Amino acid sequence: MSNPTFSKIETGYAFPSVAQSYAQSAIDHYALASLDMNPVHTNEEWAARAQVFGMPVTVGHGMMTMSTLASVVTRAWGVIGKNGGSIRYVDSKFTKPVKVGETVTATAKVKQKHFHGPGKNWVQVLVEGKDSTGDLIGFAEVGYNLPD
Amino acid sequence: MAVPARLDKYVRTEKQRHFPKDFMTGWEDYETWSEATVGQSGPAQRTFVITEEDILDYNKACGETDPLMIDPDYARKNSPTGELLQHPIFVTTIAFYSLGENGIGTWIRTPGARNPHQRIEIIEPFKYGEIVTTTVTTSQKFVQRGKPYLQMLLDFHNEKGALKARWWCSLILPETQADVARFANA
Repeated sequence: MSNPTFSKIETGYAFPSVAQSYAQSAIDHYALASLDMNPVHTNEEWAARAQVFGMPVTVGHGMMTMSTLASVVTRAWGVIGKNGGSIRYVDSKFTKPVKVGETVTATAKVKQKHFHGPGKNWVQVLVEGKDSTGDLIGFAEVGYNLPD
Repeated sequence: MAVPARLDKYVRTEKQRHFPKDFMTGWEDYETWSEATVGQSGPAQRTFVITEEDILDYNKACGETDPLMIDPDYARKNSPTGELLQHPIFVTTIAFYSLGENGIGTWIRTPGARNPHQRIEIIEPFKYGEIVTTTVTTSQKFVQRGKPYLQMLLDFHNEKGALKARWWCSLILPETQADVARFANA
């Protein structure tokens, strides 16, 4: 559904899933793009010594995970939709570090419709991200403004 | 601590060329959990001028393929803003650039920090050329299950005073400078 409207969207609507590689090259690119150069993401030797998360490897940025989770909604409906929809907030919690080399698969469903009157309606989308073992690595609520 | 040389190939923007990338240099000047005071507020160290290349590189790093997000020429002709659409988590770049290396909120750079929860609200898209000022307010500080949490609210305004976005940024941090040192010297 590329042009969703508030009146037609139903709770439970499922978005196409998004898969994102967390190869070291992808994490490195994200580090530069975000300017989050914490060595836990980019320096394998330091990560092995410090073991911030109790494991001797680099991990993806939490903000990279948050970006992957948000992308499930924005790739389907647009950061600004063709019919005027727009993203209003992203609220994420992180439940398991994403180890280097993982692939995160994110899925999402419309959880609630918020009726605030013509031109002010929005929906709440629940997004979940899982790693290749099937463990939940994080989840997010995304608020999205929809035209009537 | 040297930043791995392989990262040089990802330097694609003017800000990336000049940004201090070694988070271990000057860590002693970062604000710590024990020093932070709830209610304290102030401007971040630097302003951030929005450029096309900043948005383009963030979008690409997120794996986006929509031409409205990664093709500037296409976006100029087809985007509702006439510019590249920015990924909603793009404020991350603004924050890390703006907070700098000393003063309020620099705990975002802390070695050993862990990321439990984040909330970002988008008020309106950023526009090329806008000069963004980030205001930092220490909003929560508590210990839960033995872990020291710190939260700041980052408000992003343009040069006309319009609020563009808000980020409630939370981390679990090493508590004191001595605790940070254990990670910095690992």
